Amino acid sequence: MVDAAPLKQLLKKEGAALVGIGDISKALPREIRHLNRGVAIAVNRGLNKDSIDLLCGLQRSAEDWIRELGFKNLSIPPDSDRRTGKLITRLYKLFCHKTAATCSGLGWIGKNGLIINSRYGSQLSWATVLTDAPLKTDKAITDSECGDCELCVKHCPSGALKGGKWSLSDPLKQMVYYDRCKALKSNRQRFDEKPNCGLCVTICPYSRKSRKKSMKEKI
Amino acid sequence: MADDAKKKEIYEKLRNGVIQYDEDACKEGAQEAIDAGLDANEAIFDGLVSGMEEVGRLFEAQEYFVPEILMCADALYAGLDILKPHCKQMDLGVKGSVVIGTVEGDVHDIGKNLVKMMFDVAGFNVYDLGRDVPLDKFVEEQLKTDSELVCLSAMMTTSMVGMPKVIEKIKEKNPNCMIMIGGAPTSKELADKWGADGYAEDASNALKEAIKMVAFLKKLRDEKLKK
Repeated sequence: MVDAAPLKQLLKKEGAALVGIGDISKALPREIRHLNRGVAIAVNRGLNKDSIDLLCGLQRSAEDWIRELGFKNLSIPPDSDRRTGKLITRLYKLFCHKTAATCSGLGWIGKNGLIINSRYGSQLSWATVLTDAPLKTDKAITDSECGDCELCVKHCPSGALKGGKWSLSDPLKQMVYYDRCKALKSNRQRFDEKPNCGLCVTICPYSRKSRKKSMKEKI
Repeated sequence: MADDAKKKEIYEKLRNGVIQYDEDACKEGAQEAIDAGLDANEAIFDGLVSGMEEVGRLFEAQEYFVPEILMCADALYAGLDILKPHCKQMDLGVKGSVVIGTVEGDVHDIGKNLVKMMFDVAGFNVYDLGRDVPLDKFVEEQLKTDSELVCLSAMMTTSMVGMPKVIEKIKEKNPNCMIMIGGAPTSKELADKWGADGYAEDASNALKEAIKMVAFLKKLRDEKLKK
């Protein structure tokens, strides 16, 4: 067993909001089955070039740290930075950041279909590094903590959210009508608006609590 | 000109960069090789390719699996992209151009990409048509580029059935063109029946074959240098 505390410290010092180690062995397709630990990394910043660069830098640090120990690593880059034109790109879709985040106890899948962290809400950007290093794992979150709240479901302008409750025991449950969300996105693009409406992020009470807190800290 | 120790250090860096799938190390190593005025061909073969040989060994020993192989190949390309413009045309008795792609209806191209790597390293002109390529496009591209070699890949039986049409059309117009087919459903028998000149089974086998061929090129080159 390898102590993961130094890795977490390193990444947090470099700007990560959250770092967790998850045992993901049950969620892996055959091609990547040997990489049974997921290092979930999140940054709490708006989705822009800077945060993507920060996330990629953090991934790079994690890779180096793992390589130094003599283990394998496979970085799954942030969803908004799926570098194309590389051979490994094709394998990225075999793994989803949500798996690593829930398995490492950093959040649950909310009714909005996004990872919700109890402190930061659902506005985090995620990246994952898979590895075969026997890192000490964190405790997984197995159930949704959304409770009866249905704000995102009610406010979604495309009616894309089903309002179901997530549980780790039923990971394949469909939470979102993705085609409806996509249709709204392309509609918005036609009218020269930003494609993401982001209402499901901003309306979430956990996200609002987090923003309030950070605003207070700024003042 | 750099001294031998420095040269060895740079080649070692390229080699390890490929083995540890460290793209940045490969890029750095390649740039250092250029800056030190080393022979680009030598850097490719004694650095990058030597690393890929070791990767092939690790793969056979089941220490490396498909994701590692792909990342190693990406690292090799990162170095190759920098070194290639500085390469002199190699004279290994094999040179020329190749048209390669995955046939219509099929989007699986891992094996194709690994085979392509071999041609890239060997200094071929590679015309990569990508995946899900309309059958006529192969014929068109072959005529346009006058390539000596065409490689067709498919992973699904349903898309493989398009292969004989392409082979027939190309051979009809250009009997001297060599055609290789590859992918899980292909076999030696099918290759013979359809008049293809060679075949490779799947990504793993394509990879083994590709690395073997690259290693063979390296040997050829070493022997030539000795003379």
